[in-house]
Amino acid sequence: MALPQLRRHYNISPRLLFAAGLMALFVAIPLVYIFFRAVTGGAEVWMRLLQTRIWKLLGNTLLLTAAVTGGATLVGVSMSFLTERTDLPGRRIFRWMLAMPLAIPPYIGGIVHLTLLRPRGGAIPQLLAEWFGQPVPTPSPLGFAGATFILALFMFPYVYLLSGAAFRSLNASLEEASRTFGRSNWHTLWEVTLPALRPGITAGALLVALDVLAEYGTVALLRYETFSSAIFVQLSGRYDRSAAAVLSGVLIVIAIIILWGELRLQGQARYTQMDSQWRPAPPHHLKRWKIPAFLLTAFVVFASLLVPVIVLSFWSVNALLDPATLASIMRSGSQEFGDYIWNSLWSSALAAVIAVLLSLPVALLAVRYPNKLTQAISRFCQVGYAIPGVVIALSLVLLVNRYLPFLYATPLIVVMAYVLRHMPQAIRASESALNQLSPSMEEASRTLGRTSLQTIFQVILPLIVPGLLAGAGLVFLTSLKELPATLLLRPAGFDTLAVRVWIWASEGFYIQAAPAALLLVVASAAPLYFLLRREQIFR
Amino acid sequence: MNALELRNVTKRFTSAGIPAVDDVSFTLRSGEILALVGPSGCGKTTTLRLIAGLERPDSGSLHIMGQLAASPGHFTPPEKRGIGMVFQDHALFPHLNVFENVKFGLKGQPAATARETTLGMLKLVGLENFGERYPHQLSGGERQRVALARALAPRPVLVLMDEPFSSLDADLRHEVREQVRGILKAMSTTAVFVTHDQEEALFMGDRLAVFQNGHLEQVGLPEEIFHDSATRFVAEFMGDSDFLPGVVKADGIQTELGLIPQKVNLPVDSPVEIALRADDVSFDQSNPANALVLACFFRGAYYQYRLRLSSGKLIHAFKPHTQSIHPGTSVHAYISAGHSVTVFHNGVAVTRH
Repeated sequence: MALPQLRRHYNISPRLLFAAGLMALFVAIPLVYIFFRAVTGGAEVWMRLLQTRIWKLLGNTLLLTAAVTGGATLVGVSMSFLTERTDLPGRRIFRWMLAMPLAIPPYIGGIVHLTLLRPRGGAIPQLLAEWFGQPVPTPSPLGFAGATFILALFMFPYVYLLSGAAFRSLNASLEEASRTFGRSNWHTLWEVTLPALRPGITAGALLVALDVLAEYGTVALLRYETFSSAIFVQLSGRYDRSAAAVLSGVLIVIAIIILWGELRLQGQARYTQMDSQWRPAPPHHLKRWKIPAFLLTAFVVFASLLVPVIVLSFWSVNALLDPATLASIMRSGSQEFGDYIWNSLWSSALAAVIAVLLSLPVALLAVRYPNKLTQAISRFCQVGYAIPGVVIALSLVLLVNRYLPFLYATPLIVVMAYVLRHMPQAIRASESALNQLSPSMEEASRTLGRTSLQTIFQVILPLIVPGLLAGAGLVFLTSLKELPATLLLRPAGFDTLAVRVWIWASEGFYIQAAPAALLLVVASAAPLYFLLRREQIFR
Repeated sequence: MNALELRNVTKRFTSAGIPAVDDVSFTLRSGEILALVGPSGCGKTTTLRLIAGLERPDSGSLHIMGQLAASPGHFTPPEKRGIGMVFQDHALFPHLNVFENVKFGLKGQPAATARETTLGMLKLVGLENFGERYPHQLSGGERQRVALARALAPRPVLVLMDEPFSSLDADLRHEVREQVRGILKAMSTTAVFVTHDQEEALFMGDRLAVFQNGHLEQVGLPEEIFHDSATRFVAEFMGDSDFLPGVVKADGIQTELGLIPQKVNLPVDSPVEIALRADDVSFDQSNPANALVLACFFRGAYYQYRLRLSSGKLIHAFKPHTQSIHPGTSVHAYISAGHSVTVFHNGVAVTRH
């Protein structure tokens, strides 16, 4: 046969199928339970919510999701085009700086921009008022427009990274062919290049949409009500679990529709993959657009990376120099600053390790025995993407209270929420690591006298460890930033960096919150750096 | 004792589908190289994987060195079969260097012995200075030799090779396969070798096994396969034969190119086909013309001509390059084979008298 067979027709190992099925069950229970609670929430609750809240929330949520997704796609694609396909000055350093906002949780970026732009008492309006001797109207960061701006600003890197990868994998011959058919550069971009990249761009856009649905901190901060923030309020303030369950049911339906689209695209994204004939397309010359393009890119980097980092650093220095503030940071109640760091690190790291270990049977099954059933199990285990933090929290509160009361009010329930929510990233990383491993490696090991167990430890694991670490890094990164589930599920006194930043900031103590926020950003930037280094272009 | 024996081995991948390997039986003596050859999807690779223990047969039995390796009630896993395998993509472990790759199969031996064996193997394949390198630092031919050294190092009773040269360039392929055959013969290794390339099979195999659609069509010496094909498929696949229809007569076979005075064990008037290779056919410009020159291909030492017979049938003929005849010329074609030709009735060779 001319091509090496990548897929083998082994009989599926029943033990593996059992382990993967158990995993699917584990992720399914919270989802199914919330649906069950939503449907059996009672006609009276449904009627009340339908008459009052649901339509308003639905409108708000869909509007914000559409606006942020559109904005992030526009910014992400134009930034990846400028840095990958043109002679933009400084594109090498911009490539890094444009990816880095992933390390800044949107609510922290929101806090910084809010203090700068707030209509009353914001730094910039104050400065302008002093200069001109009277108040000058400035755009308010609150409400729909502000939330769209902040979320698009801190979520565009998803689209930027995925479309950038797609731009890079594009073969020069594609654009050359279009030019030989008489299309200009501009027409080629719109008629050939962007359509060819559509799977990559859309995949990034759908990830943004899922993240917007799940976002709590930013919308609460900027006082724009969505399903996530409404559920949070029902849960924490009014303690109305039936209403929360009904709202969650509606939210999950929207999220699952988006996730379904994203999963469908996953396979298609392949058609831009490189083959042996691949050669990179030459960069376009910007000519007179060079300076506007540079200024645009610089503005995006400034607003999404430099402003938050500089402001947080400035506040942190102020906080550390002021003995009273420093004392209140280092110790609040019985908690010390070191405790927040330690809590953040161990809960996120534990979630990362568990998620990767649990992803292995599912990934092994989906990669080695590809058929409809194993594919379905793998996709089912990725449903966590579509369950916002508040919904995971609600279902765990309900489930644990009823069936596992000993877990309630322990940090383990927080870890469990992280694992459930971020499992998809671990599964994708494990699947891609295993996909790069030819089955003939295992077969070679078997014919050289190793049992299947020895083969796993001596051949498979050493080869896929880098890929698994990447998956663990992603889970760690996103768990570190997780806010709503941590807020709702944490036992009293279990403060993480994210929680502490949120509490201080919502009480108005921005300077106090700054060192913790900065530390959170730095801790997220470290794994992000290593993840980006795995990509060729970031070496 | 036979090094390998397959008895009625059948393998299906879907329970209802056609078998990938259908009732295959053959034996292999110690020190012999058997080439499994056939078009893609013919079952040759699956047969190799069944021997390796990477697939389980549905029925039939498989013995290696007289020991039962697989039967419906028994299955010896690959690591217990004492075989060595060279994979199509070589499957060198990228996290181990060349030395460690070759040593991988020597588990359980004292360190000094394993080291000595590994060095010996690397020397045998001419890579004694490459031990520290990693697979990605090697050329295609070097990887090939490391894969062979790794498979041979544990002194397997049987070496299996799955299209081992298909990833190499044409030039390198000829060089490497000669080296590999030399190494296998020097170590008196018993080997089963899979290829889709007839020429490679003829070169590598002491004997050949020709597969089609999961069936074993013929096993035999290269000369037997080539000159004495058991089926029309084997003649077509192995020899680029043309087939000329004929009818059995009392004194021979009547064809468009005249009567072939060759008696066959069939009733008179039975329809048959005879296999003609280009070196069995010649032509001249005498009368009566019975063919038209359609095309002429320069082949270096000779010309190959494509002729259309009056019936429309196409056949090929070799001619020395001393004369060239232009396409469009009418010629008189005839059979010039100095030997008896192979005759097929319903696709199966007819035994000669």
